[in-house]
Amino acid sequence: MSVAELKKRHVAAMETVDALRERVKQKRQLLLDTDVKSYAKSQGTTPISFGSTDLVCCRTLLGHTGKVYSLDWTPERNRIVSVALDGRLIVWNALTSQKTHAIKLNCPWMRACAFAPNGQSVACGGLDSACSIFNLTSQVDKDGNIPIARVLTGHKGYVFSCQYVPDQETRLITGSGDHTCVLWDVTTGQRISVFGGELPSGHTADVLSVSINSSNSNMFVSGSCDATARLWDTRKASRAVQTFHGHGGDVNSVKFFPDGQRFGTGSDDGTCRLFDMRTGHQLQVYTRQHDANDNDVPIVTSIAFSISGRLFFAGYSNGDCYVWDTLVAEVVLNLGTLQNSHEGRISCLGLAADGSALCTGSWDKNLKIWAFGGHRKVI
Amino acid sequence: MSMTSSSGSTAGRVEAGEAARSDKQQQTTPPPPPPLPLPQARTGGFLGRHRLSAAITRLDQEILSLQEEINELETMDPSSAACQEVLLSMEGKPEPLLPVGPEDVSWDRWFQRVRSSRGHKWWTHKGSDFS
Repeated sequence: MSVAELKKRHVAAMETVDALRERVKQKRQLLLDTDVKSYAKSQGTTPISFGSTDLVCCRTLLGHTGKVYSLDWTPERNRIVSVALDGRLIVWNALTSQKTHAIKLNCPWMRACAFAPNGQSVACGGLDSACSIFNLTSQVDKDGNIPIARVLTGHKGYVFSCQYVPDQETRLITGSGDHTCVLWDVTTGQRISVFGGELPSGHTADVLSVSINSSNSNMFVSGSCDATARLWDTRKASRAVQTFHGHGGDVNSVKFFPDGQRFGTGSDDGTCRLFDMRTGHQLQVYTRQHDANDNDVPIVTSIAFSISGRLFFAGYSNGDCYVWDTLVAEVVLNLGTLQNSHEGRISCLGLAADGSALCTGSWDKNLKIWAFGGHRKVI
Repeated sequence: MSMTSSSGSTAGRVEAGEAARSDKQQQTTPPPPPPLPLPQARTGGFLGRHRLSAAITRLDQEILSLQEEINELETMDPSSAACQEVLLSMEGKPEPLLPVGPEDVSWDRWFQRVRSSRGHKWWTHKGSDFS
């Protein structure tokens, strides 16, 4: 076929794709008969209300001397790993505020860190385009450093996100500026699968965030600068299971909802959204109110769900940390205005494994722990 | 702002001054150059025959997948079904961060007496920040 004929076919195919996308959009719109807020209201859901001293900052973890970029809790409840622009990876006992490890990294520009399921290893990745693994039980040298146990190399772009597969010590998923996610075997350093890249259903821009479904660890979702989230099945890397449209900007953070059937997203467009994994429906948009005069809408940097899913935490670039009532879609508290709140952008946040505390990390160089300090009406 | 660790005792692995690195130093040390930009998959203008064929193949695959999606949408549940599931998923689930519901005493460990590794007693009040 001549180049001219191929060009014609190319144009025709693009037009068909655009027309089909429009049909999909219209059909989806017809299926959106309600959202979570309207449905909850129709069921008489009582909105949550907090007293002013109910959620309090009960620890400030001091030690980083640069912006904190990422944090992760252990499954066994009380320890946290964090990375910051000071080039340090710190492991904290959040209960005592003590540091158990403070590792000086070769590359100070880390953007992601994660605890292994058994709590004995940590992973971190960033602008070195690799993911480094440290075994915390290793001998520490006189400077307090641990040798790198393994480096996962192969990404052709920065590593923005990493998470261990929950029930598998030896597997890790990364999201990268090369537009792909990768499933790694940590013991061999080999790539098991690559999600996206040259494949047609992959992201078309940097992948900023990944979240693995703890109810079904074969499934994970990724968020990208292409303004979409995509659902993947690790057993079938050849194509994304579903692509979720709706955001008007980079999707900076994705997190599975506790029931494993939905997931949340946070974006540069200033909104958070709740999507249904199976149908692809957008179930709710969480939009902050802002002044009509204010052109700068703070971006959502990070999100997390409380253990029941009823609370939805969102960190913003202006230091706000909204606590949303997931069902009523209203903000019930702003941790950014409480006593002892952060003095800068919230860059990361996460819940302890038993849901009893939230940890926030900030460009003010600190991490803070928040817990319920009010009176509980026990049923 | 203090750069030292928050409690008086540490495990001895970290010294207060060791982790300090000035902001000024961070500002003068440039980040690594970004990796080379990835080749554009779809561009306007002239593409070689091979790249055109590859682009058409990708588009054909996308057409198939969109047609599959349209078929699925014919029999798909509306969003109300999923909204109902969201509500139901929360029923009876304990929630440590809410003022109402069943309680687990371990949730209050953030406000209890804590013993550090050197035996230095240290405890917190509910509603206070100890940093």
